[in-house]
Amino acid sequence: MDILSNFGDGLLIALQPYNLLYCFIGVFLGTFIGVLPGIGSMAAISMILPLTFYLEPTSALVMIAGVYYGAEYGGSIASILMNIPGTPSSSITCIDGYPMARDGRAGVALFASAIASFGGGIIGMVVMALLAPVLAALALNFGPTEYFAVILLGLVAASAVSNGSPVKGVATVVAGLMLGTIGVDITTGAERFTMGIPELRDGVNLVIVAMGLFGVGELIVSIRANSGGAPKNRIDYANFYPNRAEWKAMFGPILRGGGIGSFFGALPGTGQTVASAIAYAVEKKLSPNRGRFGKGAIEGVAVPESANNSATQTAFIPTLTLGVPGSASMALVIGALMIHGVTPGPRLLIDHADLFWGLVASFLVGNLLLLVLNIPMIGLWVRLLQIPYKYMYPTIIVLICIGVYSVNNNVFDIWLTLAFGWAGYLMRLFRFEPAPLLIGFVLGPMMEEQLRRAMLLSRGDPTVFLTRPISGVLIMITAALLVYSFGAALKSRRHARQSARLTH
Amino acid sequence: MSNLQRQSPRDLEAARAPRAWLGALGGVGLLALSLVFIWGGIGLGLGAPRRLGTGAFPVITGCALAALSVAIIVIDLRDTSAAERPDWMSFAAIGAALAAFAIVADWFGLIPAVFATTVVASLPDPTLPILGKLILGLVVSLGCWGLFIGLLDLPLQAFKGF
Amino acid sequence: MKLSRILALPAVTLMATTALADPGAWSDAPVRIVVTFPPGGTSDLVARIVAQHLESDYGQKAVVDNRPGAGGTVAADYVAQQPADGTTLILGNNAPFTIAPTQFDSLPYAPLDGFTHIAYLGASTPALFVQPDAGITTLDQFIATANETGITYGSSGVGSITHILGQAVDNALDIETIHVPYQGSAPAIQDFRAGVLDSYYDMLAQNEDLIAEGATLPLALAAPERAPLFPDLPTFRELGYDVVIENWTGLSGPAGMDPAMVTTIHDSVEAIMADPEVVAQMAQWGIRHTAMTSAQFTDFVAQTIDLWRPLIDAANVNGG
Repeated sequence: MDILSNFGDGLLIALQPYNLLYCFIGVFLGTFIGVLPGIGSMAAISMILPLTFYLEPTSALVMIAGVYYGAEYGGSIASILMNIPGTPSSSITCIDGYPMARDGRAGVALFASAIASFGGGIIGMVVMALLAPVLAALALNFGPTEYFAVILLGLVAASAVSNGSPVKGVATVVAGLMLGTIGVDITTGAERFTMGIPELRDGVNLVIVAMGLFGVGELIVSIRANSGGAPKNRIDYANFYPNRAEWKAMFGPILRGGGIGSFFGALPGTGQTVASAIAYAVEKKLSPNRGRFGKGAIEGVAVPESANNSATQTAFIPTLTLGVPGSASMALVIGALMIHGVTPGPRLLIDHADLFWGLVASFLVGNLLLLVLNIPMIGLWVRLLQIPYKYMYPTIIVLICIGVYSVNNNVFDIWLTLAFGWAGYLMRLFRFEPAPLLIGFVLGPMMEEQLRRAMLLSRGDPTVFLTRPISGVLIMITAALLVYSFGAALKSRRHARQSARLTH
Repeated sequence: MSNLQRQSPRDLEAARAPRAWLGALGGVGLLALSLVFIWGGIGLGLGAPRRLGTGAFPVITGCALAALSVAIIVIDLRDTSAAERPDWMSFAAIGAALAAFAIVADWFGLIPAVFATTVVASLPDPTLPILGKLILGLVVSLGCWGLFIGLLDLPLQAFKGF
Repeated sequence: MKLSRILALPAVTLMATTALADPGAWSDAPVRIVVTFPPGGTSDLVARIVAQHLESDYGQKAVVDNRPGAGGTVAADYVAQQPADGTTLILGNNAPFTIAPTQFDSLPYAPLDGFTHIAYLGASTPALFVQPDAGITTLDQFIATANETGITYGSSGVGSITHILGQAVDNALDIETIHVPYQGSAPAIQDFRAGVLDSYYDMLAQNEDLIAEGATLPLALAAPERAPLFPDLPTFRELGYDVVIENWTGLSGPAGMDPAMVTTIHDSVEAIMADPEVVAQMAQWGIRHTAMTSAQFTDFVAQTIDLWRPLIDAANVNGG
């Protein structure tokens, strides 16, 4: 009952008119900026950061949180409509969201994404309210070996999200890991594969890889596919409401995605990406509809969105209770609190209970606002697809350029985007999918860091990955998943060959 | 990718029967890339199990990728389904559009770069007359100016060198 | 009207600040303070406080421009190339000015001749922390454990100030510890609390809560004198080891700034650092301000480069 009364107090705080106002400003601004390719929550939060200095810490936190998950949601709009993911986790939304949009079901996809985000957000909120201390303690049990094992699991799941051959899926993940080594080696300070270019010292920015492989690569494909002139999307504006079968199909994935997401979200850094990849991979194995995954399955939109959004909420747990920010955006949250003299750490839950519970309750309010704000907007977003492609694609390319350029204010990044864009097009020609590469690219540096740290701390003994209980179990699960996906692929090929023989 | 399978009839007619070895080029490209990282990684030093060197991870991932690429080459060589016909025109135009942005933004600032990029990107589309392309460029430039500089106040220089 | 301004309206009315009429502004154009870190860290917050005060006290529009990357050398290189008209300043620190010159074979800028070092803001002090239940409560026990079973320590990165400090302590105490680099101190502390690290170096003030909770134990401070927050914590010097490594920060501009302008900026910064609110905030972050003239600050940068050079070389910070 303690939790309920705490939550009630929190709700009263969150519903105070000015907190409501800042929450609204946050989600609105976040959605609006998240839609713009390459300009994500990081840019949006930096923009409002100076303003938060003048606010109450709770209002500041509520607004920043609103921007954060608003931008995540906005990113999924760009993923569905233009196949341009703002974050690695929304690259998984692209897998089914974009095909849905091309089928003229953009409205349904956007609605599914809104509803799934809402569901995931609520699940994340409930988990945070009930289990914040437990999850914080769990995160404290994760040393380098455990992180390595979680990342490995996430990578194997990422290779399983691809719809082509599993060998190609694994290969693209590994290629992502490899490309992630470009830049200064954080363990020794030596430069790797930078070819003496100073801009490469900090590695290739994620935004560049995402914009190049997805955005630019897709544009090159689409120009000819759309050159017929008339837009081929038969869009019924009124029809963005899913039918009964679609509602039913979404329900389970939202719950499972939310559960998986809220668990992994508590692990700083790896959370959202790993959660979306694992949730999608799990759903692809479980769903009765698994054959349609990758071709526009509504479950394929719902599950990563739900996982991603619940992870977004629980990501506040390590940030607030351990002071460990999982991402640059979360580092900004810490900064905003520090300027108010609130130090994130184990005592935050006790010393600033009102702040914590106000935030938790604002998740409910904010997610509702997001839903109310965005459902009427769906018709408007879908109408964008009616603009003839000859006007659209030059505009999209400009948006990509500005998004990339705004990251470092450096045109070198544009040249890199060009290279990745061409690579993305060639990948499509040879039937490689970009999503696993992006995930490998994001997780690779973390994986290497944890591997080397684990080996250093174990004095060079690799069996530590199997003997530490948590990592041992995670490695087992990973191995099982790997064996299962290759087994399934071999079986389906044998089937295909047999049926081919029968028809001849 | 689904959109590759959904090409207009005109494209399907134009699609030539692919030569099987072309499909394996992707695997060959990956193999070459992995060899670069293995070679570079060895040069950077592998270290010891206790203190893995700078080159260890690139070499480990490079070896894994090399093995996988060989498997991919074998699989692709046996794959007889029709390959996509590349669209080098759009490939070049989009590349040129990005290059135009990079060059013009460096010399003249963001807004001229937006104009140049829009016009260059729209070049391969035959249905839009040149005047239309220029007008489109102007409209997009003004829109971006208003949105990114006026409203969002991004720290980018709208014009420079004038 | 800019979106950020519209959004700021309700807050500004709350603040009800009135900009005084321009007593000591040095330029009509807005001033940019370049920060070598992404938004959110202490350094960024310090820059924002300075910017905010410049704006309200002097009617000088001042904005913070975050240009993180490559240990602050991206920002320093950028500022070195800007016109020396007082419109572009950098909130510098040890990374680009006193570590990078030794760490990197070639730098695109000259840390001394390429800049006008204007005003020293202050320094925060790192301390050595150990596990509270490991039976180590003195530096002598620390040395003994390091010699018997070996000790791992976490730093906030290769070539970071805490890495340099780790090397300085190893040299002074004549021990050999195992360096485990992290990306920032927060993940290092997380691993420390997970029990996988024996010790770490971090700024003292940022560990106040953990110390109070008994989750970590500070052994010695790398400052010239004890910290007001923890009067019981001895310094390395008191214990007989000459280790003073402080995380300094200061305001600099491109080379060749007009001396009158430098004086104006320097005096403005000194005034800001004397503001009671700022003093309180700095104390909370553990940043100790010392008054220095611009010339003294320039000498300080030059001396620190020389002082740290042997440590940085010994720490092997570029993978050689």
